[in-house]
Amino acid sequence: MPAGNAIQVEHVTHYYRPPKKRPVHALDQVSLEVAEQEFVALLGPSGCGKSTLLYLIGGFMPVESGAIRVKGREVTEPGPDRGVVFQHFALFPWKTVLGNVLYGLENLGVPKDEARERAQKYIDMVHLTGFEDSYPNQLSGGMKQRAAIARTLAVDPDILLMDEPFGALDAQTRGIMQEELLSIWQGTRKTVVFVTHDVREAVYLAERVVLMTARPGRIMESVDTRFDEVGPAVMDRPEFVEKASYIWNRIKGEALATVTARAG
Amino acid sequence: MMANLTHGLYRYAPLVLLALAWEAAVRTGVISELVLPRFSDALVSWWDLTTTGGMFEQAAHSLKRAVIGLGLAVALGTTAGILMAWNATIRVFVNPLIQMFYPMPKSALIPVMILWFGLGDASKIVTIFIGCLLPIVVSSFNGARGVEDVILWSARSLGATRRQLLWQIIVPAAMPEILTGIRTALAISFVLLVSSEFIIARDGIGFMISGFGDEGNYDRMFACIMTVVAMGFCADRIFQLFMRRVLIWRE
Amino acid sequence: MARITSGAAEARITLPGTRPPLSASALFWKAAPAISIAGLFLFWQLLSLSGVFSNYLLPQVPTVFHRVAIDVITGEFWINAAHTLYRALAGFAIAATLAVTIGIAMARVRVVNWFFDPVLSIGFPMPKVAWLPVFMLWFGAYDTSKILLIAFSAFFAIAVNTVAGTQGVDRYLVWSARSLGASDRKVLRTVILPAALPQILTGFQIAMPLAMIVTIVTEMLMGGVGLGGAMIRAQRFADSIGVFAGIVEIGFTGFVVIFGMRWVRRQLLTWHEEAKR
Repeated sequence: MPAGNAIQVEHVTHYYRPPKKRPVHALDQVSLEVAEQEFVALLGPSGCGKSTLLYLIGGFMPVESGAIRVKGREVTEPGPDRGVVFQHFALFPWKTVLGNVLYGLENLGVPKDEARERAQKYIDMVHLTGFEDSYPNQLSGGMKQRAAIARTLAVDPDILLMDEPFGALDAQTRGIMQEELLSIWQGTRKTVVFVTHDVREAVYLAERVVLMTARPGRIMESVDTRFDEVGPAVMDRPEFVEKASYIWNRIKGEALATVTARAG
Repeated sequence: MMANLTHGLYRYAPLVLLALAWEAAVRTGVISELVLPRFSDALVSWWDLTTTGGMFEQAAHSLKRAVIGLGLAVALGTTAGILMAWNATIRVFVNPLIQMFYPMPKSALIPVMILWFGLGDASKIVTIFIGCLLPIVVSSFNGARGVEDVILWSARSLGATRRQLLWQIIVPAAMPEILTGIRTALAISFVLLVSSEFIIARDGIGFMISGFGDEGNYDRMFACIMTVVAMGFCADRIFQLFMRRVLIWRE
Repeated sequence: MARITSGAAEARITLPGTRPPLSASALFWKAAPAISIAGLFLFWQLLSLSGVFSNYLLPQVPTVFHRVAIDVITGEFWINAAHTLYRALAGFAIAATLAVTIGIAMARVRVVNWFFDPVLSIGFPMPKVAWLPVFMLWFGAYDTSKILLIAFSAFFAIAVNTVAGTQGVDRYLVWSARSLGASDRKVLRTVILPAALPQILTGFQIAMPLAMIVTIVTEMLMGGVGLGGAMIRAQRFADSIGVFAGIVEIGFTGFVVIFGMRWVRRQLLTWHEEAKR
């Protein structure tokens, strides 16, 4: 097991400041460590700030209070070392699948032939062979997300930040995508931070599930979710069910608090 | 209240700056007074014309034409548009005519209007009417036909009659688009009003602008232009407030 | 009760050429546009023959089209149309360049937005054509003043739509691009512009008819070569046939321009429009 932290979040507090409205306290003194090649899930009720934390790690929003370090260096802006996959795919609709996947490679100055080869490799890896010249609006949800993943992987980031990537997919596609993500991760061994509100998904995919409270988001606890067995059959194992129940009970109180807070 | 005022000042401050720049440019001679009268002179003329020059009456006269033309267009246009959405036969026959006439720059009709109606009010009113009609028809049609099936079916299964369906479901649902179309038509009505008053140079605020221009009375000309600009702006603002009121259920 | 749904539901079948599956009526539906337009001309012709209006007020259809044909053959139409189109397109091009640049700057730079926002706010609903005498004063009585007034008229619609389109770009697209190694500049060029393009083109489609209207008006007021100038000359010489022929010619020119724009939009937005269908 490699040592050293890929990501270090130190006492980060964050406020959303929408124009003409009161600031929203999104995160409160959040500290987190993610080791190299670790697969970590961020789990919590809606609005708990898990996505916000992800965006801060990604460098899309400035860290006002506290610090976030990636490989020891402080995060100030986005970069190809931290790849990101969003819930609604964020594919460039005016580019084909190939065009999308090539985008990062072009930015990094990779020579044309090599870029094409690499792009094809990742398109094949996500099983989109044959759809290189399709436009996003011709693809199904699952296919779009594969394309987005291929695009992100093409620049070979050490870290993958995933913001509820399967949230917009139907249940069956979601299941398939989860398997594919696991096999990609096992093949490429990147550090993954995976945001979700689906308990079973988190327990299944991640090695460690970090639980967050309702707004303002704080870290409640970390739960180890490594199992001996891999593959969907593990979900029927008693250890799995136990862990999932435990986590759900911890989260339930927070989720209810969110619901009543919204209504009130 | 104070917050609103300061916000308004902040928002429109650039215009104040532009006015100051205008004044300064002419006073210092950077721009010749022959081409651009002083802003202050224009303001003085504006006051003169309003109090003694009859500009208010002329503007009111112009406004009356625009209102009548636009009003007729709204009445006929919304009816036609909704009818088209309601009845497929009407739609199929009227739509090609609309497609054909839509790209025609309506100002081209002014000479025909002169031919038929002479130089008085009628030619201008009819021009404005025709120019405003099509955008309203199209947006009413789009608004009415965009009403979702499920809403109509729910209403029917709750026992709605045809009439109720029309007035209580379709018209309110189409309102946002209808009002947007009317807002566009409002702007068009002003353009056609001024255009027709320029071309048929008889009376109205447009005529005052071109008249003063011909005479070389540029400060008065600018005063009249400011009036027209204010009219267009206020009309649009008032209509926006009206829209917000009517569509209060939307937000 | 069945009729209500069918009427409203059929109306929702939006695309021309797609008709409800009724066999005998299918032909009827398809022929409707031709019937409609032919009917219009027939009505016109009957009205003018009926004597309700004199031949001066309402010339007969063949007479008018005969004049149109003469204009086409002698080249009159082409020369006039070329001048009108030149002015309209030149004005439009100037407006588009300025408005898109300023619009994007407004969406990205706060100071620019602060300065131009009230300008757009006042300018958008204002009848820009009212400034014609000012433009004539400043730029003379020839093409320059016409073209600049046309540009002035088209500017605001394009700017407003550009601002909206640029501000409305999905932030996740921008973020994705940044984490794929794109610099700020690259993001502007490769992401923001393409993403804002649909709305910018909408602004174009609104501004172009406006530009045409103003072009005709300026030509009518200043005379000279051009479709508007020809029309006003006909009116002055009591040449009513010429006036009607002018309407047909201007209508046709407008038609070509508008449909040209629609075609350009379809070409540029293949990736987008498909999603709309």
